[in-house]
Amino acid sequence: MTLVDLVLRSMRKNVKHYYLYFFALIFGVTLFFIFSTLQHDSAVVEQTDLSAKMSSGFQAATVLLFGILIIFVTYANDLFLKRRSREIGLYQLVGLTKGAVSRLLIIENILLGAGAFIVGVGAGLLVSRLFLLLLMKLVGYEGFVNLSFSGAAFLQTAGVFAVLIVITSFRMFWKVRRSQLIDLFNDDKKDEHPKQPKPFRSALLGLLGVAMVCFGYWFANSEYMLSMFLFLNMLLVLALVIAGTYLVFRVTIGWLMTLVRKQKNGHIGLAGALSTAPLMHRMKANAKSLTVITTLSAMTLAMAGFAYSLYYSAEQETRVTVPHDFMIEESGEGAERTVEESAALFAEQLDQAGIGYTDQPLDYILTDSAFSGESLPELLGLEGRTVNVNVFDPRQLEASGLQIEEPAEGEAIIHDAGIAWLMTDEVFPFDAKLTMGEAEESLVIRSLGEQEVANGEAGISSQLTVTAVTYDRLKAAAPEEKVQTVVAFKLDDEADLEEASALFEPFSHGNMRLDYYATFKDSIAYYGIMIFITGFLGLAFLASTGSILYFKQMSEAEQEKRSYTTLRQLGFKTGEIMKGIRRKQAFVFGIPLLMGLLHSVFAIKSVSFIFMSTDITLPVTIAMTAYALIYLMFAVLTIGYYRKTVNAAL
Amino acid sequence: MVTTTNTKPGRAVLQANQIRKSFGSKLNSTEVLKGINLQVREGEFVGIMGPSGAGKTTLLNVLATIDRPTSGTITIDGNETSKMKDAQLSTFRRDKLGFIFQDYNLLDTLTVKENILLPASLGGLSKKAAEEQFNDIAGILGIREHGHKYPHEISGGQKQRTSAARALVNHPSMVFADEPTGALDSKSASALLGTLEDVNQSRGVTIMMVTHDAVASSYCSRVIFLKDGAMYSELYRGDKPRQAFFQDILNMQAVLGGDRVDAR
Repeated sequence: MTLVDLVLRSMRKNVKHYYLYFFALIFGVTLFFIFSTLQHDSAVVEQTDLSAKMSSGFQAATVLLFGILIIFVTYANDLFLKRRSREIGLYQLVGLTKGAVSRLLIIENILLGAGAFIVGVGAGLLVSRLFLLLLMKLVGYEGFVNLSFSGAAFLQTAGVFAVLIVITSFRMFWKVRRSQLIDLFNDDKKDEHPKQPKPFRSALLGLLGVAMVCFGYWFANSEYMLSMFLFLNMLLVLALVIAGTYLVFRVTIGWLMTLVRKQKNGHIGLAGALSTAPLMHRMKANAKSLTVITTLSAMTLAMAGFAYSLYYSAEQETRVTVPHDFMIEESGEGAERTVEESAALFAEQLDQAGIGYTDQPLDYILTDSAFSGESLPELLGLEGRTVNVNVFDPRQLEASGLQIEEPAEGEAIIHDAGIAWLMTDEVFPFDAKLTMGEAEESLVIRSLGEQEVANGEAGISSQLTVTAVTYDRLKAAAPEEKVQTVVAFKLDDEADLEEASALFEPFSHGNMRLDYYATFKDSIAYYGIMIFITGFLGLAFLASTGSILYFKQMSEAEQEKRSYTTLRQLGFKTGEIMKGIRRKQAFVFGIPLLMGLLHSVFAIKSVSFIFMSTDITLPVTIAMTAYALIYLMFAVLTIGYYRKTVNAAL
Repeated sequence: MVTTTNTKPGRAVLQANQIRKSFGSKLNSTEVLKGINLQVREGEFVGIMGPSGAGKTTLLNVLATIDRPTSGTITIDGNETSKMKDAQLSTFRRDKLGFIFQDYNLLDTLTVKENILLPASLGGLSKKAAEEQFNDIAGILGIREHGHKYPHEISGGQKQRTSAARALVNHPSMVFADEPTGALDSKSASALLGTLEDVNQSRGVTIMMVTHDAVASSYCSRVIFLKDGAMYSELYRGDKPRQAFFQDILNMQAVLGGDRVDAR
């Protein structure tokens, strides 16, 4: 019998052990192939070319996906090897050399890998079309979607997969090389002995873990976060929260359970015997993987929640920076038409198309302003510098259909979405000294407006709204060339936006931000791709974390089978035992989920300043609920596996 | 069949009639138990001996409701267990029976006390009553001070005494012990057997014990010998001292077969 015969025989015999590992491999290939195919698809490339940022997003996502696949596949491989320890030992016992055994395993691994690759690519081909349709729907692409087999994607997947196989094969080689025969025979029995934790030390570390997480949360949402050291601060928060999470798993939970258990004084009951007791003693060994799972969950949730919020709020957020449906402004030196002529022409075209509208010229004064105040954000570096500020007439803005708050006499309201996130309530009021040519004027800036008041160039600088009286005084004082005019259009019916947007095209001179509808469409496409990437990565993370927990619980169930036999012999019914097991699973799956949710809530909270006008509670809740539901499916699967084990125990 | 008559008074706790047990398929089956009739009276300490493959453990499992007989009826404490459904059997085992296994079968993640109190947890016993039960039985078995330790922190003998305490804590009608001394050194073994004998006499607990060790069975009040799945003989200790009874058992083993009674 040759080695290859032995391989084939052992593979046939081991099918029931293999399926887990095989599934992991197939899953990895499929995900990567789909992702790669989409990336190389011409329609997607065309869409993503709109923004260079998105294609770098795709690239970053590919690296992340590769990373998670490595973690996931090596994990499944380790578990698979552990289950086969006895077999590996047996081969050596009957006289195969270590070299032959590792060759045997590696041949198996390669055969298995090749099989998984074929199945995975096949499955990927079948479902990638579905994902492409989904992606195109998200970005609002309405053309015909055609997906062909992508050679580049195939090669990329093959390359990545080859790396995975090399890594796993090396681990197999290492395991055979390193392990003693006796260890191989006892591998499945190895169980760390429960120990009484040292009370003082675990109390200290346990509380430290919680404190680190809480401090991380607090710091991320505090005023100290947004400083020159933003990036360092972010790293600090990340390190604090991850290390804290590890301590919570490694020490805090076990410590709390010890306290509860001590209080029970031996009257632990069946449910406790099956949940608290085994959990406590496995916490130490499981801390690392639970931390990884929590971190991945938190990342996924934060990404998906954030992306969905962006998508969800695109309409309102676009209104913040592009308040008017359309705006016509000076197109620079040597323009064929003045602003007024262009506006008249556009109006005529709208009339012809039968679209109802209101047009309103908006005058504004260009000023150089110096801001001074006690609590102006340092990050802006406004102190001792002058910036361009445009002052608008409140009467005209009102007539154009904007709802603006009018300040008191001598005061002004600042409108600038770009710096809004730094403009907390403590910043106000501060002083502004406006210079228009020779003229000067001092105002007190009272508050921040909810949105900007002009599209396009006029809306790039900060905008001020003042009282009508102040405006007239400023205008009278300002030199003529400092007063500019733009014309804002507001349609009567939003349904006409698309048609009007097409007519507006020649008037935009390439500046999309003059046209609300075009800007909105663009951000939908942008966020659509983002939501797709994060959703896809989220799915990959979710499936891997869920599977890792499931695999882990499977091997725990095997290890605890003897206890179930004893319990059944002592007269406990399957139903009663399952009650305890369900409680254990509630902890095993629930704690990482809850901590992941908590982490992501704080993460999203700390960046939610980006959303000026939208309450993102709803989209974040939807994203999180969807995640939790899929995740809990793994818990249900796990409980099903335990039920089978308990039933078979007697 | 050689029988020494010395029937102890007391009602029958266990009554087994024509117990048969076969393994394997219909065409190719092996009959392990070939029609065994057996009665155990309240307060008896019955030992079951026999050479390897005689069906000792199978008989114990069948009587203890862990396994089902192929045919025959078993009545324990007035309940016909051979007719019960699985769920009923579970409750019955928990309420009426106690078990001691060769390899202790303690839950590694529970302390000694938690292990002992486990069967009491679903019995609807108040915490105070359970505490009393624990103090009582752990005191008799001499493991009270080890209550907070984990199984891996105590000796084999202490583990087996924990297992015995778990079996006794619910005041079962009957305790089944499968080679309880099989994994113990001789000193721990005799200590355990002495305690079992004490409990049997002072509390009137009915015990049935499978063993291949003549010393162990000399602690019993009656020893049943199986051979090839059938009752071969039985010996009553009566008022004999243990040494004399031990001699009787050895003699019976010599009659039982040319080959020595060996380990399982």
